[in-house]
Amino acid sequence: MRIREVLLVSCLILTHLFLRTALGFGKAAPDLFIVALLVGSRTLGVGAGAGLGFVLGLVEDAFSMRAFGSSAFAMTLVGAFGAKSRDYFVGDSMGFLVTFFLLGTWGRDLLAWVVTEASVRPAFQDHLLIEAPLLALYATIVGLAARSLFLPRRKRG
Amino acid sequence: MGGHIKRGRRAGRTDLLAVSGFIVASLIVINLPAGPQRDVGHFIRQTVLRPFIGVNALLTRTQARARDFDTLRAQMDTTMALVAAQRTLAEENRQLRGVLSLKDRAPSRFVSATVIRSGSSGSASVFHLDAGSIDGVRPFNAVITERGLLGQVQEVFPEYSLAYDWSHPDFRVSAMTPDGRGHGLVEAARGAFREQDRLVLGGTAYLSDLEPGTELLTSGRGGAFPRGIRIGSIVGVAETSAGWSKSYYVDPVVYPGAVTHAVADIGVAGGMLAALADSAAAPSREGSR
Repeated sequence: MRIREVLLVSCLILTHLFLRTALGFGKAAPDLFIVALLVGSRTLGVGAGAGLGFVLGLVEDAFSMRAFGSSAFAMTLVGAFGAKSRDYFVGDSMGFLVTFFLLGTWGRDLLAWVVTEASVRPAFQDHLLIEAPLLALYATIVGLAARSLFLPRRKRG
Repeated sequence: MGGHIKRGRRAGRTDLLAVSGFIVASLIVINLPAGPQRDVGHFIRQTVLRPFIGVNALLTRTQARARDFDTLRAQMDTTMALVAAQRTLAEENRQLRGVLSLKDRAPSRFVSATVIRSGSSGSASVFHLDAGSIDGVRPFNAVITERGLLGQVQEVFPEYSLAYDWSHPDFRVSAMTPDGRGHGLVEAARGAFREQDRLVLGGTAYLSDLEPGTELLTSGRGGAFPRGIRIGSIVGVAETSAGWSKSYYVDPVVYPGAVTHAVADIGVAGGMLAALADSAAAPSREGSR
């Protein structure tokens, strides 16, 4: 992980905490934890990606009363898959990055929903078919913007 | 070349072990009993999240202080008028209790607190109160605003507590109409979409018709909530079950997202339950806020 990537991931994590916890914007602010995890996992090993996901998930779960640990589980798996994706998809084309951010964010919501107790989790249609894809799109736009601003693509040739 | 392959295999094995370890750890966290989960959450809130929660509390308090003076003045005038109109009622009540040889009612005690919402996913319906066990707050205390019932305290720590509002799936409160003729249990009913989530009064007698607009108060049954706090008003019939019971949709008086300030009722009923649930009682300094 280069210093630029470390700085970007740290900035995204701090901004997420500032917007969501300090300012209380909730879902009006993009989910920068998952953006940080997806950006970071592409440059980390599989174990470190899972570790980063586990830590961020635990922080996300701090206020969760009946679904404690569901974010930690989901983000651990997303971090591991994100890091493993380097073995199968090389490069950072726009098409790949859009799919990567969309699937990563939606996949996290799906995994967290699956392991949450049935009596507490939100309705499937509302959460996973309407809310989660929109939030994934929001995170994707912010993730792409952050990457293009802080991690410009290297010119070929 | 051979060394590279060996190193690659070793790194792959280490990664696999690390991933398995983190997945197992996350599964352990999910399946931990409530006590240890509470401790882990408390540790994270008191370390990583503490400065951010502090900023949120500061902003919420500043926002509350900047509230329009005219609105506060109007609220105070209304309260004064109400107190003046009902001043003689206390004396009448005392005399009637004397005639009937009834004991005096234990007064309710309140602790004022700022309501902080974290905004993290999974924390919907949960809020943070900046008053804890050193202020006298106990688990299951009712959380009330000037309009009515907001929710119930669930987890208490020395300096703060966590509570959920009426939109939480576990929330239940026994309710009654002001005349005491209709009784039932109010709970949040999930719809297919979040906009369809509503409060529902269930378990009322089939023949007791409740008109739209009828006010609902806490009945005090079960001891979890003190009697007489406003919950909402009847909107209409939700369901009738085989000529046996009816349920009604309820329009709540408190909208949780808009609340920045509330009081925890640490009075008699909540206190008794709390004492059973959390025997580690700390000296209270209620009323100091």
